[in-house]
Amino acid sequence: MGSVNDLENFRKELASNLKNTEKNKVIIKIAMSTCSIATGSKNILDYFNEAMLKQSSSYRIITTGCTGLCHSEPTVEVKLPGSEPVMFGPVDVKTAEAIINEYIVNGKSVDCVIGRN
Amino acid sequence: MDTKQLKIALRNCGITDPENIEDYISGDGYAALGKCLSENDRKQVIEEIKRSGLRGRGGGGFPTGKKWEFAAAGSDKKYVICNADEGDPGAFMDRSVLEGDPHSVLEAMAICGYAIGSDEGYIYIRAEYPLAIKRLRIAIAQAEEAGLLGENILGSGFSFKIGLKYGAGAFVCGEETALIRSMEGKRGEPVMKPPFPAEKGYMGKPTNVNNVETFANIPAIINKGADWFASIGTEGSKGTKVFALAGKVNNVGLVEVPMGTTLRELIYDIGGGILNGRKFKAVQSGGPSGGCLTEKHLDTPIDYESLKAAGSMMGSGGMIVMDEDDCMVAVAQFYLDFTVEESCGKCVPCREGNKVLYQILNKITHGKGEITDLDKLKNFSEVIKSTSLCGLGQTAPNPVLSTISNFYEEYYDHVVNGKCAAKQCRALIEYRIIGDNCIGCGACKKACPSEAISGEIKQTHLIDQEKCIKCGACIKKCRFNAIVIE
Repeated sequence: MGSVNDLENFRKELASNLKNTEKNKVIIKIAMSTCSIATGSKNILDYFNEAMLKQSSSYRIITTGCTGLCHSEPTVEVKLPGSEPVMFGPVDVKTAEAIINEYIVNGKSVDCVIGRN
Repeated sequence: MDTKQLKIALRNCGITDPENIEDYISGDGYAALGKCLSENDRKQVIEEIKRSGLRGRGGGGFPTGKKWEFAAAGSDKKYVICNADEGDPGAFMDRSVLEGDPHSVLEAMAICGYAIGSDEGYIYIRAEYPLAIKRLRIAIAQAEEAGLLGENILGSGFSFKIGLKYGAGAFVCGEETALIRSMEGKRGEPVMKPPFPAEKGYMGKPTNVNNVETFANIPAIINKGADWFASIGTEGSKGTKVFALAGKVNNVGLVEVPMGTTLRELIYDIGGGILNGRKFKAVQSGGPSGGCLTEKHLDTPIDYESLKAAGSMMGSGGMIVMDEDDCMVAVAQFYLDFTVEESCGKCVPCREGNKVLYQILNKITHGKGEITDLDKLKNFSEVIKSTSLCGLGQTAPNPVLSTISNFYEEYYDHVVNGKCAAKQCRALIEYRIIGDNCIGCGACKKACPSEAISGEIKQTHLIDQEKCIKCGACIKKCRFNAIVIE
């Protein structure tokens, strides 16, 4: 980028792209900081990467840093199209399965919800 | 989720992908740098930071804008350093910021470079933070690729590059003069100030050193304005502070609250209260340099001055909560053990004095303390505080002084009555079998590794205090509440 204008245009382009492409996607955020990894978030990430392939819905998995919720790591935040994000934790493979099969597919609530934004 | 938190330094942590610069830019990433380069001259940037009231988040609390102003004087080669040598036990604020939002720190360092007239910055980071290092490397490469670091940034003529320097994990290297020496490849030992790094720092050149969290606040201040930032917090402490809440609370984790939030709100509302419904005893802030505050301090607002007046300090943000099962003498001994280990050894008061403090505390927790030891602890502490060379030694006795002043009875109980109320000091406790409850099942006898328990089956058992090593194995096995600690 050669100027401040370039930066601002790039930002606008990114923001509008995201708005269009992510509008209809399931957004899954998985915390991948040291504390999350220590409690097993790598397994959860692998699980989502694999299990979501079999789902028909379009989705994006985002790895993030620390959510601050060390007491409930590994944490997973899911935002279904048109609804507010929901934070789950602590997530193990079994609850990850429930998050996909119950919450993402059917919109039903799952036990390990920490909070809703 | 909980409304008591306000995230400024942690605004992107847990929200964006730290390994993807587009995620950062799509928010308002690098907008602050763009704004500085296109709209503000150097003086205006410094003025803005001064007006915001931002103070150093590493613990010292020195006004950041003033620090920048000192470093900006003169036209020599200058350096910007980010202090990521986080070393307090139980603290992980900086690591989380670097792992979760590395670009905010890079952007802030470039802004600082522009403001003080520097073209080169370094992040001094502990080698024990491999994930943070990896993400910083990725972030630097991406920012260079995008033309947001390097030569002629955004066509403004301003150039700034950032490198990494790794620390070997010495606590004293968090002190800025020791940090600079370590970066130069010398021993990590502090030197006398003045001259301050702003005059003569890295490679003898004017250097501005700020902590990770301080930098993470900068882009938000530039984007939203100094007035917005100054409207948050208290009279003398503006903005928010990140705390690593640890110890015996239900919700351990990383929290960011506006200055002026009380300790009670932090521990009970955000932390969810004490683990297992136990009683709150103390909270330790400021790491090995801080102090222990008690029940009566719970309504103290969190800001630099109030915490200091209460006998502790803001510190970098470690917040360790203790319950009734924690022995305060043992806690003081733990911190002294840490500072004795981490003292660089350059000045005598810190090297020898803290060792003496540790030995006295060790004597007390082993039941050999005398009442005169309490005065000795106080006197030695005062001498160490007033004569040590750097912040490490000047603050190392704080855990001792604050526990003596807030928990004098506990010290007294140890040295005069030979009792440890929290039942933590092994030399001061005894395991005993209550005859009425013991049915003689023999479970404790089997569990005892030192064969200290005797008794026939179906008869009351007995613990031989000479042989007992106080490991607690018997109490875990007893199903009839027949063993007590006295």
